Amino acid sequence: MSSATLEIQGISRRFGEVVALDELNIKIKPGELVALLGPSGCGKTTALRIVAGLESTDSGHVLLRGKDMTEVSANHRNMGMVFQAYSLFPNLNAEENVAFGLQMRKVPKLNRLTKARELLEVVGLNTQAKRFPHQLSGGQQQRVALARALAIEPDVLLLDEPLSALDAQVRANLREEIRRLQLSLGTTTLFVTHDQEEAMSISDRVGVMNNGRLEQIASPDELYNKPATAFVASFVGLMNRLPGVLNSQIVEVLGQRISVAENDLANGAVKVLIRPERVSVIQKTGENNAKVITRSFLGASSRIICEMRDGTVIQSLVASAGTGSLNPGDEVKLVIDEHDVLVANV
Amino acid sequence: MANMRKRGLLVPITLTACIIFITLPFGSATEFSFRDGGKTKHSLAAYRWILAQEDFLHYLGVSFRLALGAVLITLVIMVPTVAWLHLKAQRFRPLMEFLTLLPLVVPVVALAIGAQSALPEALQSSEYELSFMYVVLAMPYTYRALDIGMSAIPLKTITEAARGLGASWIKAITFVIAPVIRNAVVGSLFLTLALSLGEFTLTSLLHWDTFPTWVTSVSQQNIIGAIALSVFSLAAAFFLLFAIGLVTMRSKSDATEGQK
Amino acid sequence: MTSTTHNDVVTKGVPSRGTLGRHNLSVAIPLLPVMIFLGFFFFFPMAMVFIDSFKSNEGHWSLINMTTILNNPYRMAFINSIKLGVVSAVTASIPGAFIAYVIERKGSQSLRRLVTSLSGVLANTGGVPLAFMFVAAFGAEGSAVMILKKLGWNIYAGHFTLFSFTGIVVVYLYFQIPLMIIVFSPAIHGIRKEWRDACENLGATPIQFWRFVGLPLLLPSFAASFLLLFASAFAAYATARAMTVGNIALVPLQIGNLVDGNVQVNQANAGKALAVGMVIISAIAMIPYLVIQKRARRWQT
Repeated sequence: MSSATLEIQGISRRFGEVVALDELNIKIKPGELVALLGPSGCGKTTALRIVAGLESTDSGHVLLRGKDMTEVSANHRNMGMVFQAYSLFPNLNAEENVAFGLQMRKVPKLNRLTKARELLEVVGLNTQAKRFPHQLSGGQQQRVALARALAIEPDVLLLDEPLSALDAQVRANLREEIRRLQLSLGTTTLFVTHDQEEAMSISDRVGVMNNGRLEQIASPDELYNKPATAFVASFVGLMNRLPGVLNSQIVEVLGQRISVAENDLANGAVKVLIRPERVSVIQKTGENNAKVITRSFLGASSRIICEMRDGTVIQSLVASAGTGSLNPGDEVKLVIDEHDVLVANV
Repeated sequence: MANMRKRGLLVPITLTACIIFITLPFGSATEFSFRDGGKTKHSLAAYRWILAQEDFLHYLGVSFRLALGAVLITLVIMVPTVAWLHLKAQRFRPLMEFLTLLPLVVPVVALAIGAQSALPEALQSSEYELSFMYVVLAMPYTYRALDIGMSAIPLKTITEAARGLGASWIKAITFVIAPVIRNAVVGSLFLTLALSLGEFTLTSLLHWDTFPTWVTSVSQQNIIGAIALSVFSLAAAFFLLFAIGLVTMRSKSDATEGQK
Repeated sequence: MTSTTHNDVVTKGVPSRGTLGRHNLSVAIPLLPVMIFLGFFFFFPMAMVFIDSFKSNEGHWSLINMTTILNNPYRMAFINSIKLGVVSAVTASIPGAFIAYVIERKGSQSLRRLVTSLSGVLANTGGVPLAFMFVAAFGAEGSAVMILKKLGWNIYAGHFTLFSFTGIVVVYLYFQIPLMIIVFSPAIHGIRKEWRDACENLGATPIQFWRFVGLPLLLPSFAASFLLLFASAFAAYATARAMTVGNIALVPLQIGNLVDGNVQVNQANAGKALAVGMVIISAIAMIPYLVIQKRARRWQT
């Protein structure tokens, strides 16, 4: 099995009046794990199901290794899919479930059960091989579903919010396992989720979607530090939104004048987008411009929430050392780091 | 593409067959009930005759009294018990479910013979023995209706919350428990009502006369009248259950809307 | 208030066998009313029936009732009743399952609700009104008969009569098919879309889905529904009584006759033996029904 390139070209789909997808274009390199991230209704699941062949597309193409798959029926695409929940066949036990794809490919019983057991061992469930789905926990069921998808040695692995129905701890463990497996097998993977922490932590690239459109597709780093649109900026990570005044390429905010990148916004009132870690809190100065509301100790860092004179609330993420003496009600001075400041319409 | 075309025809064909199946007997009976001497003359004669019978109201009354008796008994012993099971005695639910399903296993005829031979004379001299037996007959259904209804809500949690906020048991029942189990209770009481009003087997074998048994005896003298009565009872049953269905459906969708 | 919560917290951490044991019993006390009720109005009568069936009419222990019911005419009645149960179950379960499938899978939400309510009403329609309705439709002077005559088909040309075994089976369809729809629909409803999608994704055709996943899941529920329909037809009394004029021997009717005192008085306890026989046969059908339904519910939610 060699890794395959997956291409989504100009896919559009509407359901009645609603536009689910609008000219979606994504090219996934062999062995890459790309996440589609976005709020409910943004079209990410529809896109995935179109790739799998479970939904049809109004226009555009799905290409696998350069071959057009758009007209190929779902059961001939050789893509392994993991669903959100409840997808294991209740009348078959774990190993029979995993072996199912091989059974459809007419692999003899002994061979397919052996392969199934191997895969169950890979996901750590070889002792549960004879158990039925209702006897397994949610996390175990999803592992079996993963093994089942991988058993057919798919060209592409498709995951539709596989962790959304699980507990937080199980989620964290399982996503690392998925990544580990995907890397060792080198399978091209498309992963749909609404949880940005999930997407950012394991993907090579993340595509942020909104209302059927792809807003930006880039590495987690780039997405975080160089968001292409205001939506991406607020969806990925936490973002402060402060009122400011723009004059050509200088914006005045919190008493500072900061230069920003080229933009096409009109001069005047704008929203200034700043990451919490770019806001420093300085005590014992004569130039206080805000008041502390709460301080949350998060270990190495602390989150300090302050209120500006005009009522705007700002979050600051700073190293814990040195902020231990801050209490609610204290007056402080907030200073903004000039790098990576964005402006957007009010 | 061809598959989709076939799919499109399947539903209408099945529906048409069903509609014919349902309306043919019912429609025929209705037509029959309007006959007035012979196959061509039609009038409301049969219905007028029914209403003229003093027994009509009398036996309707008997059936309603017995049905209400059954409803009362269900309300008093079933509802608190199932509520208690959900609040404090969860581990006994499987046992109760099993016990209440047993009447399903026994044919009504057998139960009738049992009641006739075993129940004390004093009880058997009153027609209200039927109310008690109706409750037994309905128990599998009423228990399940109440059980499912109460399972759908976190009854134990909200009751504990109410008590924690200072509510006495009476207040908790009035303001927290009762409103929330109302639908399930009403559903189970209607089930009991419907079953009691239409029950024939047990009633006739225990030699009592209620509306259904009276309808049977009417058929000896006036078959058209009996059929008119049957049409009437069926239409009423239809209406009642339909109305209940609509009411419970609406309140179910109201409830889920809040959760969204 | 606070002190009681504190006490709860303190005692919770130390469960001893003694406290748990006491807890068990006192918690069950409010359940006694229902249990006593069932005991008095259900278990006690049934126990009496069982005991009396082993007594002769003079009151001595005897197997005479058992031997009586194993011979004609009662033997014939049992055979007829079982036959009726099976035939009715077969003739109703297949159309019922089919309709349930079509409505569940291809019907809209409102259609499904309509069918459910309708089936609920029809399944409980039985007894005398139903029999009369059929007489009105298909009796010699019936309206349906007239319509069919006009269309050129005289169903009374041959030996057809409503008051026959076939007639009863046809009438029973009227409440058996809706009963099947009610009992079988949840199973079809429980077939999740994810399983079909997963099957397709793993390379299966629709036929393979039904062969390896769909039918294996539906079969137990179908069997359970079949058993229920059997028990329902086997035990039905009112409709049978209204539809037969004493020409067909069925166990419920014979019990009815014995209770009415229509037959010899010294057969009183024979009726109880018949009842015991009915309970046994009904239980053979109903207990597997309940067990299968319980198991099937596991994957249906």
